[in-house]
Amino acid sequence: MSDTRTPSSCSLALTVNGRAVALEVPAHSLLLDVLRERLGLKGAKRSCDMQVCGACTVLVDGAPVSSCTYLAVEADGARVLTVEGLGDGDTLDPIQEAFIEHGAVQCGFCTSGMLMSARALLAEDPAPTRERVAHYLRGNLCRCTGYGKVIDAIVACGRRQEARA
Amino acid sequence: MLRPFALYRPTTLPELGELLAEHGNDAAIYAGGTELLLLLKEGLLRVRCLIDIKRVSGLDAILSEQGAVTIGATVRHRTVERSPLLHERCPLLARVAAHVANVRVRHVGTIGGNLAFADPHSDLATIGLAFDGAVSLWSRARERQVPLADFVLGPYETSRRDDEILTSVRLRPWLQGTVGAYLKFGVYERPTLGVALAVTMSPAGQVSEARLAVGCVGPRPRRFDDVEQQMIGATAADLADAAKPLADATAEAVDTVADLHGSADYKREMTRVFVRRAVATVAARAAGRDLHERYPHTIVV
Amino acid sequence: MSFRVVGRSVRRLDVVEKVTGRARYVTDMELPGMLHAKLLRSPHAHARIRRVSAESARTHPGVRAVVTSGDLTWCDPYFGPALRDRPILAIDVARYEGEPVAAVVADTEESAAEALDLIEVDYEELPAVTTLAEALAPGAPLVHTAPPLAGHFADLSTLKSRPGTNVCHQFHFERGRGTAALAEADLVLDDTYTFPRVQHYSMEPHAAVATWDEQGGLTVWASTQNPYSVRVELARMFRVPLAAIRIVVPYLGGGFGGKTYAKLEPIVGALAHLTGRPVRLALSAEEAFRTVRRCDARVRVRLGLTRDGLLLAAACEGDFDVGAYADIGPRIIQKGTYTATGPYRVPHVALHSQAVYTNTTPGGAFRGFGVPQLAWAFESLLDEAAARLDLDPVELRRQNLLAHGEEYAPGDTPIDGKFEESLSRAAEAIRWTQAAAAGRGRGVAMMMKASIGPTVSEAVVRLHADASVSVLSSTVEMGQGARTVMAQIAAEVLAVSMDRVRVAAPDTAVTPYDQTTSSSRSTTMMGRAVQEAAEDVRAQLLRVAEAALHVPARQLQLDDGAVVAEGGRRLSYEDVLKERFGMGGGELIGRGIVAPGRSAAPLGGSTPFWEMAVGAAEISLDEETGAITVEDYVSVADVGRRINPQQCEGQDEGAVLQGLGHTLFEEMLYDEGQLLNANLVDYRVPRAEDVPAALQCHFIENEDGAGPFGAKGMGEGSLIPVSPAVGNALRRLAGVRLHELPLTPERVWRALRARDQKEPTPP
Repeated sequence: MSDTRTPSSCSLALTVNGRAVALEVPAHSLLLDVLRERLGLKGAKRSCDMQVCGACTVLVDGAPVSSCTYLAVEADGARVLTVEGLGDGDTLDPIQEAFIEHGAVQCGFCTSGMLMSARALLAEDPAPTRERVAHYLRGNLCRCTGYGKVIDAIVACGRRQEARA
Repeated sequence: MLRPFALYRPTTLPELGELLAEHGNDAAIYAGGTELLLLLKEGLLRVRCLIDIKRVSGLDAILSEQGAVTIGATVRHRTVERSPLLHERCPLLARVAAHVANVRVRHVGTIGGNLAFADPHSDLATIGLAFDGAVSLWSRARERQVPLADFVLGPYETSRRDDEILTSVRLRPWLQGTVGAYLKFGVYERPTLGVALAVTMSPAGQVSEARLAVGCVGPRPRRFDDVEQQMIGATAADLADAAKPLADATAEAVDTVADLHGSADYKREMTRVFVRRAVATVAARAAGRDLHERYPHTIVV
Repeated sequence: MSFRVVGRSVRRLDVVEKVTGRARYVTDMELPGMLHAKLLRSPHAHARIRRVSAESARTHPGVRAVVTSGDLTWCDPYFGPALRDRPILAIDVARYEGEPVAAVVADTEESAAEALDLIEVDYEELPAVTTLAEALAPGAPLVHTAPPLAGHFADLSTLKSRPGTNVCHQFHFERGRGTAALAEADLVLDDTYTFPRVQHYSMEPHAAVATWDEQGGLTVWASTQNPYSVRVELARMFRVPLAAIRIVVPYLGGGFGGKTYAKLEPIVGALAHLTGRPVRLALSAEEAFRTVRRCDARVRVRLGLTRDGLLLAAACEGDFDVGAYADIGPRIIQKGTYTATGPYRVPHVALHSQAVYTNTTPGGAFRGFGVPQLAWAFESLLDEAAARLDLDPVELRRQNLLAHGEEYAPGDTPIDGKFEESLSRAAEAIRWTQAAAAGRGRGVAMMMKASIGPTVSEAVVRLHADASVSVLSSTVEMGQGARTVMAQIAAEVLAVSMDRVRVAAPDTAVTPYDQTTSSSRSTTMMGRAVQEAAEDVRAQLLRVAEAALHVPARQLQLDDGAVVAEGGRRLSYEDVLKERFGMGGGELIGRGIVAPGRSAAPLGGSTPFWEMAVGAAEISLDEETGAITVEDYVSVADVGRRINPQQCEGQDEGAVLQGLGHTLFEEMLYDEGQLLNANLVDYRVPRAEDVPAALQCHFIENEDGAGPFGAKGMGEGSLIPVSPAVGNALRRLAGVRLHELPLTPERVWRALRARDQKEPTPP
């Protein structure tokens, strides 16, 4: 629960990538800046800065949000997952493996956003079709790959998950 | 980045009213922030404080009553998309909510925020008109209901007064036997054109009520009463045959404005095209078929 | 011949870093004591700066400095690779909306942004020229009034401006009897096409961090594609030796040409000097639109053909809008114009272009470098010729193709590809000879581009005592996979596994000279330098092993980290080094230098390879809205040999989508010098749903490239044919020929309605 001692500053208690974090932040802090500057989690990037491109995507209680346009205070009490929280120390998450295998990474600046969106999609729709993936990625831009291999990776990861289930 | 502000989080409407009275134009109402935070980042709006209304009790409810469904202002697009109640009583609205902006905006953005911001290129106000939507505006002095058609005045302009907040939108669910469609067209991030059409078919298979709303192409979305009248009494087959004249009549009457999305006459012509397509779609659905049509850069709901 | 790693889609060296969010870009950097800069930009397209009042900004909490051009008289404030016409901060005059006029440096980005609001600038608006027509009109206001200074590229020191006009450079290329030969043609066509202003939209906007050290040296971490070009600019501007400037380049979040040549480095270097602290400047996406863009162009093409479809003569006149500062515009017009007639044999040509200043965002390098603008025009008109002569567009092209080994221009490299093979492959893949389904139409287009010459690429390969390898190369990793390719080349030559190879980040203090990461040149040129450096190490290994094993070097091979003699005796590299140094330390260092030097070729140096690609599109059209859907697309690139096949596919898939951008969606919209859509809500880049349902990227690999293992360059080629292929498909499907891009639904719709009225198609 936010501390309303000073309405310009808020105490946050949240979980980031499974670890408890307590911070005092100005009310106007954006989640992206708190993650990058206060917590050193540089994976999420600032690109368009207006919720269109998806480079800043992180998951808040499983929901993908544009952290560039999301007040940090909204994450109080929430579980936040960033790209640094995918995988398990030494093992990569299946979606990361799929991106590697399918050549879905070039400059890498869109990659963390793509991965987080993929994670959210696969949680909702474990074996999406290409069309579904392309539609879901409407809000994730990439200038390098032409999207084909990104879609391949997500579809393949879905199929693999389904095969295991 | 944002300039500093204080953040207030009232939990009741009276508390909210006091804050509004105290801060006046130095305050902005904040729910999802998907529009507001952009304005603040761009420096188009400068305020000293944000009043977060997400904790005010009662603003996040979806209520069903006789002849009406009320959606609270802080309900997210995503919640509308997944609401069993809305799928049952206002199915087209719930399905259109799945196509607003992108998935991240849908998780965070709210119905109230969207309507209050009145971006001319948006789906919600258009589809809301097809449900005879009315917003509830609360102030310390009173609460009033304003039909959507009178609420949205123009681009980014509504009849909400500075001391009022939009607390909910009330919709009149379609009756049994209503068939509808929403077609949205555009290449850009925001829609260029949106057509909402619903017809209620009597047991005898004739249109007893029709609602046609067109949005995004002009300063505000609107209904077309005259065109709706022309549909009354038609069978599904009649409707299919009348698609062109109905579209022509709408194109004649629609108010279009040139902007980055296109010239005024292109938008008028697209209104003609998509109203015709909407009528064909709805006529088919009224006859129990689905055309499964696909048009480039078009979402057919 | 089979290779261990070359020709295989080995895992990218940087992929694990990038999927775990650990890859570092300039904007991720933090240095102790680092300050943050923000730029105040001109709101006017052209204005005299009468006064800047910055007192309240200077005293704002957290502000360390507020700087204008008056504070920069201690250095040479002008930079620019072709013309040194661009000041660090506007001096007396702002020449485009968005030009930096002042800079604030503060403890935080926030306080810097707040301080910007406190600066007041008194402008006197001046008449502006914001289109080619305005800039070229007689008596037009001049964007620049001072005589031009040449930049640091020797080939451009002979800049040909037209004094008293906005033309800053001209290029002319002739062959045979030029335009006179048009009179002998059976068919002459004459038409004009335009190409829009578009922006790179790299996902990472430009950024730089600079710091000066106690010895008076400057280090800049920059999101740049050519650290050495930036170095020479800064050395001259700040009057320090080249050795005192260090440019370090981590990963780039995209470049596409928009990060070539100095952009932010001069201002950041100056601010670091003035404050005595490290300074960071990271642009927003909106600011990137006000930093660089593609040069828009207006191109008139005249074609003369025989009635059998042989190209006899061609004339092109191109006007390229380079915006307010020339950047590399002069070379763009040269490069693009040089191959304006594509991969065809045209006995008589007269090709002429002008680089024109306007009061808009400076135009600079962007994937394709002038060729997209010209190919859009030429390939469109060529299809019109096919229609008029009732010839199949593929056959028309086929019969005019340059042959393998044929001369393109005296002094330049002969044609190094079998172009017909690419054309046939594309035609086959799109099923050209079978009728398209109802409602579908197909179009084809080709391109050819000379890669930059002369250039210099140098590399060092170090073999360490444990047989691991370091590759030192200044080729910038901007997504294309260059680091991986260099590692593959070194690993192949030295017969070590990929996991034993590391490629250093470009750092001018450590990695040797490379001219530029652009022009599709790095695999070919730097690749050869790396190959040479690795072969130098190989030769050293063999020399030591020869003495140790008493076997002549020619009977020795490298295999799996060891020198192996016929008969099986092995000496591991570790043992070779011990042998060489008499101890468990030391390293072998190999060097490669690729510097073909100047030649008699028209552009001053022979092209290392000809980049040639074909595009074929099958489209459908919603005639009621004008919306085009690219259903199928085939690209064919002649690449010699793919060092890393998956990376090549990724590059060409990306190139096709980026080409679809300017073909269907992208356009920077100006209203009298005000840029209206410098943001992603209003500027439409391709999305995942825009990928054609069937996209095939093919590669012709005849091992006939000048690069390592027969490789050539690629990456730009497949972008270029997209717009004319789609335009040609539209013409064949719907009978309308558009002369401008993008082919938005409304533009197409207007052309269709005009067709229905049987009026002439609007220009």
